[in-house]
Amino acid sequence: MGRDTILPMIQAYVGKMPPLPVTVSKVLEICNNPKTSPVDLNQVISLDPVLMGKVMRLINSAYYSLPNQITSLVRAIIMLGINTVKNLALSTAVLSNLGKASDFQALNMEGFWRHSIAVGVTAKLIASKRNMDVKLREEYFIAGLLHDIGKIPLNNRMAEEYVQAVSLTDRDHIPLYQSEERLLTVHHATVGKLIVENWHLGENLSDAVTFHHNLADYSGSHRELVLTVAVANLFSNTYELGFSGDRYPENLGAGVMQELGIDWDYLESLENAVKGEIEKAQVFLKVAS
Amino acid sequence: MSAIRLRFWGVRGSVPCPGSNTVKYGGNTACLELRFGEEGRLVVIDAGTGIRELAAHVMKTDLPKGPIKTQLFLTHTHWDHIMGFPFFIPIFIPTTELDVYGPVTFEDDTLDKILFGMLTYRYWPVRLEELASKIKYYNLKEGSRDLGEGLWVTTKYLNHPINVLGYRFEYRGKVLCSAYDTEPFRNVFDVPSDAPGYDAEAFKEGEAAAREENEKVSQFFRGADILVHDSQYTHKEYLAGKVGWGHSSFEYAVNEAHKAEVKRLLLFHHDPDRTDAQLERLERRIRANVEARGSPMQVFIAREGLEVEV
Repeated sequence: MGRDTILPMIQAYVGKMPPLPVTVSKVLEICNNPKTSPVDLNQVISLDPVLMGKVMRLINSAYYSLPNQITSLVRAIIMLGINTVKNLALSTAVLSNLGKASDFQALNMEGFWRHSIAVGVTAKLIASKRNMDVKLREEYFIAGLLHDIGKIPLNNRMAEEYVQAVSLTDRDHIPLYQSEERLLTVHHATVGKLIVENWHLGENLSDAVTFHHNLADYSGSHRELVLTVAVANLFSNTYELGFSGDRYPENLGAGVMQELGIDWDYLESLENAVKGEIEKAQVFLKVAS
Repeated sequence: MSAIRLRFWGVRGSVPCPGSNTVKYGGNTACLELRFGEEGRLVVIDAGTGIRELAAHVMKTDLPKGPIKTQLFLTHTHWDHIMGFPFFIPIFIPTTELDVYGPVTFEDDTLDKILFGMLTYRYWPVRLEELASKIKYYNLKEGSRDLGEGLWVTTKYLNHPINVLGYRFEYRGKVLCSAYDTEPFRNVFDVPSDAPGYDAEAFKEGEAAAREENEKVSQFFRGADILVHDSQYTHKEYLAGKVGWGHSSFEYAVNEAHKAEVKRLLLFHHDPDRTDAQLERLERRIRANVEARGSPMQVFIAREGLEVEV
């Protein structure tokens, strides 16, 4: 299967991409409650990259007179209204019943979910450490949460090929994006770019998703965000906080951590906080650990 | 000669409510007739049940002068704002040209699909395909649009359990705004600090978001010559279980309009249970209050047949 076949197939899949199986039942529980609590709604959406992406897409496409992209879920819920966000989440959750993903998958979606949360939380913690404006920290979380979104269609729609890609990574000890490219002709960051652009999520999130494995080629204006997500991803993979198929991640250039003013000692100190956040999320979603 | 004339054909919210208690103000749901300039160019806001009588009026006064060319602006697609559409007789006349504008939902369906879900075999004998006139549909978001001949419309999202647009029409320096169905934006993350999931950052962000959104709505109708504003509830009713239903109180509408230096405020979208007697009392009370605070703003309770011009 070539690039010309894969990309249109993924394009078609984006519109009906379901939330992760880990969050679906909680989404249904919260959204089917006539008195949905906005706090719960906020929490469940912020724990799912697909739902988060769809809400961000809606808020940023509906309000085209806004001077800046909105990257705050709290603000999106207030502006769009609980009813609209709740129905959007419900209609997305319902998609999980259509065309059930094959059981035969390279990535276990629960591990993938943990990895996504881990990168989001780590990116946000790094942003706090760097005294980033509180309002901008949310953007770091979202970028981390969404950075691997391109793996969802690959894992669900090209399950067989994707199993081979993950196996190739394990066999040859190479980064997953390289085995994806070798076997599928595209890698997850390219697919992710397609998704976030389809959702009109803005240049900041698009850059983080597109360049998190390719810092050398990045010359855009969201360098800090892109670097932070790349570091958070490397940390989560190295410490196996969740699992997204990348057992042999590529080292980042020596200057990257320096540029962010952090080092491995600092990252190690985050491990418990990140695990704690994942645990809290699991309790909320009632996921067995 | 006035620049803009407004006439109400339906002033109720939620559901039509004919009966002895609604004779004076009327029982039809939302429909506003706007006329611009000497030509009396027709623009309609909303297709509630009031549009049936507007249709008869248009057939009598406009059609003899030539084919009907008009624009219909839907504030949103809840039933009470669209249910009269199949009774707008000009849509059955082949020479009619109608442009329908309105917001759509997150489902990405086009406006015609949303609007004419009700014109299917199971709900109604006439189907969309059977309408003889030329109808075009335009999905609107926030922005401004030139409607030609010096008429401009600007749109603003309001706060209701579905996407709702407020409309600001500007013509020859005069401004008419609609701000319904809507309620004040509020910080929905304002929960007790010991409640599960309380988040101090979310609370702070929510406060700022609600304040800024309310300010944007206020700016949207600032200085309007005519403002038609939602006032389905009294403040007391609003607080007693109607928060989040997407409607404002009389008190909120009056305060916001006064602060935004609106010249004439038309209180609109009356609750179906609101009687003529209650509305009369409310009008007296509100006018006395506005006068007491020295406001030059004129306030009216909207009623079917009421005409206002600037």
